[in-house]
Amino acid sequence: MNPAIIIYSVQHVIHRKLRSWLTVLSVLVGITAIFALLSFGIGIQNYVVQLAEEAGADKLFLTAKGIGAPGTDGNFFVVENDVDFISKINGVKDASGIYIKAGEITFKKQKKQTFVLGLDMSKQRFVENALLVKLFKGRSLKENELDKVVLGYNYLVENKIFSRALDIGDKLSVNGRTVEVVGFYDEIGNPSDDANVYVNYKTMETIFSVNTFGYVILQAHKGVPADELAERVQDKLRKFKNQEKGKEDFFVQTFADVLQTFGSVIIVINGVLVLIALVSIVVASVNIMNTMYTAVLERTREIGVMKAIGAQNRDILLVFVVEAGLLSTLGGILGVVLGYGIASAGGAFAAASGFASLQPAFPAVLVVGCILFAFMLGAVSGYLPARQAARLNATDALRYE
Amino acid sequence: MNKDYFLFALNSLKSRKLRSWLTMLGIFIGIASVVALIGLGEGLRTAITSQFGFLGSDVLTVQAAGIAFAGPPGQAVSKPLDDDLAKKIERVRGVDVAFNRQIESAAMEFNDQQQIVIVGSVPVGENRKIFERMVNLQAAQGRLLTENDDRRVLLGSDFASDEQFGKRVVVGTRVLIKNEVFEVAGILEEKGSFIFDQSAFLNEDVMDDIFGHTKTADTIAVKAKNADDIPRLKEDIEQLLRKERDVKEGEEDFTVESPQSILESLDSTLFAVQLFVSIIAAISLFVGGIGIMNTMYTSVVERTRQIGIMKSVGAKNSTIFTLFFLESGLLGAAGGIIGIVLGLIMAYGLAAFGRLVLGTELIQAQVSWTLILGALLFSFVLGTLSGLLPAVQASRMQPVEALRT
Repeated sequence: MNPAIIIYSVQHVIHRKLRSWLTVLSVLVGITAIFALLSFGIGIQNYVVQLAEEAGADKLFLTAKGIGAPGTDGNFFVVENDVDFISKINGVKDASGIYIKAGEITFKKQKKQTFVLGLDMSKQRFVENALLVKLFKGRSLKENELDKVVLGYNYLVENKIFSRALDIGDKLSVNGRTVEVVGFYDEIGNPSDDANVYVNYKTMETIFSVNTFGYVILQAHKGVPADELAERVQDKLRKFKNQEKGKEDFFVQTFADVLQTFGSVIIVINGVLVLIALVSIVVASVNIMNTMYTAVLERTREIGVMKAIGAQNRDILLVFVVEAGLLSTLGGILGVVLGYGIASAGGAFAAASGFASLQPAFPAVLVVGCILFAFMLGAVSGYLPARQAARLNATDALRYE
Repeated sequence: MNKDYFLFALNSLKSRKLRSWLTMLGIFIGIASVVALIGLGEGLRTAITSQFGFLGSDVLTVQAAGIAFAGPPGQAVSKPLDDDLAKKIERVRGVDVAFNRQIESAAMEFNDQQQIVIVGSVPVGENRKIFERMVNLQAAQGRLLTENDDRRVLLGSDFASDEQFGKRVVVGTRVLIKNEVFEVAGILEEKGSFIFDQSAFLNEDVMDDIFGHTKTADTIAVKAKNADDIPRLKEDIEQLLRKERDVKEGEEDFTVESPQSILESLDSTLFAVQLFVSIIAAISLFVGGIGIMNTMYTSVVERTRQIGIMKSVGAKNSTIFTLFFLESGLLGAAGGIIGIVLGLIMAYGLAAFGRLVLGTELIQAQVSWTLILGALLFSFVLGTLSGLLPAVQASRMQPVEALRT
């Protein structure tokens, strides 16, 4: 055989491969982007659902109105008398006011600004459960001790808040008053909450001389729906405070509502990004169509031969649709693998920046869905070229050069 | 270069209409989405930053550092600014005046409806005029506050529409702020900034009365004698405050900012968001580029014989290269032009739709000439880059072998 022919065929095969690879690459890029974005969207939604389960569906928040972070506007507040009244409302199992103030904490001459939360430790389980904090190290605060603090997770990490990591027994000062660390709460997953300082009522009142709460946490009795209770509390406290409807200086939300709002904002942002990424999928689909039209053209004779020995239109159609589908599926599989890598790296980066709550999730549905989507994409894009191939006239096709 | 090259490239594209169109489709979808997104982002950025660009270039603002994003100045702050600090700042060389401002929130009632609004103080005495000039305070209706306006309030322009309270507030009507009755002295001209347009203003002494005098300041406004001194003044005031508040450099619990620096940091955040969105949109352009490469490889293979003939009648490698290179560049550029037109329609259409649905003037599209030219250049470069390898392959063919296929 002539060596030139061999070289030519090898070149031809390589070229054919190259074109297929380029098509695969274009699907791969699009699927990678969509897979990575969706995995974050699902991850965040899972996180929200998990939070809601941990806190329980029976928790409510009563927050003083105002501007800025909830409960921090000094012009609007709830007083102890209000909390006493709330806890007596029918259907309320428990209620506890939370003090919240900005504090200056000093450790080894380094100063930081953070929120200090004052908790009613006689209701330790209820309060810790509603605030979604779990003890990580040391012990929780006691009701009657003075000048003891429990810190957020980030104080355990070097260079996150202070250059040195803190430990049980360390002394630091809050607004100039020396306090001792007795415990740490586990990571909540955002830099603000994980920098909180927690004290009991007694210490809070001593350091800040406050007597007004930023918000109140409530728990509904078993069998009392939280949203109904929210309305009842809103109504009763309004009358108790002599305020007209619509002019309350507070509002009541169920825990599920709070999370839902947070969750839906993120879902919308994620959805917009996925839509933008879908543009690249449309372009990839055009690429597949292009490749397949070329393939049909190149194999006109082959199609003629197949038809001449009895292949039906349906068979030809199937051959090309499946070919396009397979090319695209390959791109989908590789895209999922690459997307997994990128999303994992992104999650690790988010965790390192203090957003441990921002983690991707990879449910089987997402993986299978993306690959299936890629196959469908290929099959649909390949349909028109395949139909053209199937409709070729056998004699014309054989004559084609 | 000969114009025949162009004609040749154009003709070969025309003879493969469907494939050329499909390839261009990929590019123009990509370019359209990038142009639309960047245009919308740009407009949004301009609209948002213009909300903050109201202060002069000879002004500095001093605030106690609180917890980031926790609320207006002075809130979520553990160590507020002392109210005698302004006097000390005034003694810094080059400072014209420095005065305290209070910023509080309060429930405001009108037409039997309640809103939480921000209430800002207007300094009394000789600083009043300076403040009014500093922020260019002008009444659209009624008048500004004067010394003895104990029971009068000045409102931002948004209160003149019925959106805030379901009814327009006019000069002379009464409103309740923190359950105290105030007569509306005037309504400000629209500044296009929610900081002013949605706020209420009271005389400083009146604010002290109804909110309780705190011996602290929420912000201190500093006016320089000379705008050129601002960078030096910023450092001098920082040094003074470090001493006053006993903090080391790098651990400041306060900020001294010029309007420019506030704008810059806001702008860079918005830019980062815009960049991220654009990168995701640009993925489709990358995919479009792959499409061009694919089409060009096919085109080279199809025309192997043609290349052989051209070479045998004397075409140089560089000629063949240029032909294919131009062809892919044309594909890219044509896709780019259509894409830009589509992108413009999309950007302005979406912005108009967004304004209609959301009712906010913040949503604006802004497509600059730089963006248009940039997109055009980019699509041409994308086309040529994607065509580079196929063109090299074509130019290196051996004429004898090419003729034999």
